[in-house]
Amino acid sequence: MLSGKSCLEPAKDDVYPGFEGTIAKVRGLPALAEYSSPKYSRTDQLAAIATQDAMASSGTDRSAFVDSGIVMASTLGGLTEIDTGIAKDPAAWYRRPDGLLRAASYPFAHVADVTGDHFGIRGPRCAVSVACASGAVAIALAASTLLDGAAPIVLAGGCDPLCPFTLSGFNSLQALDPNPCSPFDQNRRGLNLGEGSAVLILETLAGATARNARILAVLRGWAMTNDAFHPTAPQKDGSGLADCIRLAMEMAEVSADDVGYVNAHGTGTPLNDSAESQAYETAFRGRKHPIPVSSTKSYFGHCLGAAGALEAAITIMAIRAGALIPTLRLTNPIDSPGIDWLRGEVKHQPLPLAMSASSGFGGSNAVLIFESGRT
Amino acid sequence: MTSLLRSVMITGIGSVSPHGPLAGLIPLNPLEPTAISAWATAGPRRAFLVPPFRPATVVPGVKTRRLDRLSVWALVASSLAIKDAGLDLNRVDRSRVAVIFATSFGCVELTEAFYLSAAANGWNGTDPVTFPETLASAPTSHVAMFHGLRGPNITVSNKYFAGEAALIQASSLLRNGQADLAIVLAGEALARTLYSWYEEAGLLSPACYNLDPAPEVDGFVPSEGVAAFVMESSASGDLDSEGRPGIRSYARVSSGRWSAGGQRAEVIGRMLDGSVASLVICSGNGAPCATSPTARLAREIAGEGSTVIRPQSFAQGLAGTGAIFHLILGLNSKPRGKPGSGPVLLLGTAGDNGFAAMLLELP
Repeated sequence: MLSGKSCLEPAKDDVYPGFEGTIAKVRGLPALAEYSSPKYSRTDQLAAIATQDAMASSGTDRSAFVDSGIVMASTLGGLTEIDTGIAKDPAAWYRRPDGLLRAASYPFAHVADVTGDHFGIRGPRCAVSVACASGAVAIALAASTLLDGAAPIVLAGGCDPLCPFTLSGFNSLQALDPNPCSPFDQNRRGLNLGEGSAVLILETLAGATARNARILAVLRGWAMTNDAFHPTAPQKDGSGLADCIRLAMEMAEVSADDVGYVNAHGTGTPLNDSAESQAYETAFRGRKHPIPVSSTKSYFGHCLGAAGALEAAITIMAIRAGALIPTLRLTNPIDSPGIDWLRGEVKHQPLPLAMSASSGFGGSNAVLIFESGRT
Repeated sequence: MTSLLRSVMITGIGSVSPHGPLAGLIPLNPLEPTAISAWATAGPRRAFLVPPFRPATVVPGVKTRRLDRLSVWALVASSLAIKDAGLDLNRVDRSRVAVIFATSFGCVELTEAFYLSAAANGWNGTDPVTFPETLASAPTSHVAMFHGLRGPNITVSNKYFAGEAALIQASSLLRNGQADLAIVLAGEALARTLYSWYEEAGLLSPACYNLDPAPEVDGFVPSEGVAAFVMESSASGDLDSEGRPGIRSYARVSSGRWSAGGQRAEVIGRMLDGSVASLVICSGNGAPCATSPTARLAREIAGEGSTVIRPQSFAQGLAGTGAIFHLILGLNSKPRGKPGSGPVLLLGTAGDNGFAAMLLELP
């Protein structure tokens, strides 16, 4: 990302015949020998790799995670393993070789279960599905689980794969940009779907400090709201997201001036980006300087249930690198005087506090505020 | 175990179940499975099915066209629970009301329909209206839209303890001040693909085939329905001053834990903190591993002096989402007003795959 590289590419035949558009596909997914059984979906594999990486990078032995909790988000679960035949004649479909095993991965709780089982995580286990805000909501619920004292450590994240079901669905809604998306541009045409997973390891500040953990960032505040407006469209004035930002800042006990960067939901759809820019105008009104905002979906596409977690990780990376990451292909931004649309080159500057915002179908919003862990 | 920062009460109950749509407690009379007619089966098949009803006759003004039945039932059950709680939402700060819904399989009927449209028209010819209604979170967002609830809106799941997870997450939001009131729901809608999966996996009880279940044969009767609670924190409630004198509390939630492993008897013992549960309501789904061990653990924890209610018929057929139904049925079986009685324990186990436990106090 710091070099401006985008993962978006033209879709090939590996999506579904007749689909023409742009996607961000994880190519060269490492094969996990333990995940060779058909009971593991691509979603499960993405989550396992992210979890493995998170645990390894924590520098902590796996045995330390036995009593941990896990909150894992996904909107698709094992839909990748199912095809149209299941609806036409389910009994025949289940009698196919591995039919029952493949179907067992369908519930969205499956990924939390198999990830927990595989890594020996035996504390509270929760699956979350809140459309495109899922990953951020998982992190918020994990933080609540820690506050409740229900586990000393909670792994939280999201995962979703590319799948004909969702590509077809978004295509039917005419929400896809056939070319690489351009979030927040006045000429934006829609989103590109991506896939991936991100997992964060959360623990209380006291617990992390006590064991001399490397603290990557501090989750200062979070909030969740709902627009209560429409199944797929956001409130036009962005008031639901603006309320969510206000509540998160209240919890974090920070002011609008304290926030140095917003990693936006920024899908590239006309409705989302318009409402979202209004939300930032409302929530950051009165700031001394326009609020720096970018959408990193211009690099990875929209990873649905993984997006909120992936963007939380990117926000933490931005804080640690002191880097304001631009939106790619943003040439003619939405007219919003209160927003500093990041575009062009990466800007390097100290970034002590930043925010990640997520929204989703059904009107859900989730906001996470992170602070540098170096303090 | 952390103590509650704010007290959390269950003040309203609504449900759509094989008993039909109901506000308040559900009668304990046993149900017989009914014949499946909504789809073709290879011979007679039975399940605990929700009898057909027109939602608008139960909830005036509700519009349910093109929604999955799970969304429809969530709308009806939530409306009945709100009515049962005596809540006037016009007098409530709706930005402080959360909706938390637990489901294992989500909107399976419309997912089937979407697949069928893809089979008929190709993936480039699917239906844009159906697609967003296939999301597992669709019922949760419809409840928010219908009632204008702008607080946290969360859909959760867990293989064995989805209902308990919703109750515990809702309690957490309430006691940590992220909401003042929560509509908590759990349930499933049976669809052909789901029933067929149970059948092909050999999980069905002989009762599904009109046969008397032999004692040694495991299996369960699939079920459907949605149960809803209104849960309120003490902060929402200077309740009497808001024009709700005599507000009823079905139960006060004291604490909750769930885990995929660990020493459950010890953990629950710490939760009980020396007190003895007067009533243990066993939740758990119909999987053979889930039922008897729960009752055994309940007896081990509670001793011989307490009442243990085993998993109840139709609630047992709801995969991991039966906890709220189990609790509703259990609350109806409890003799009220017994002074000095110990807390109520809602207990679910899943073989070696963990447990869920909630402690409640009756008024």
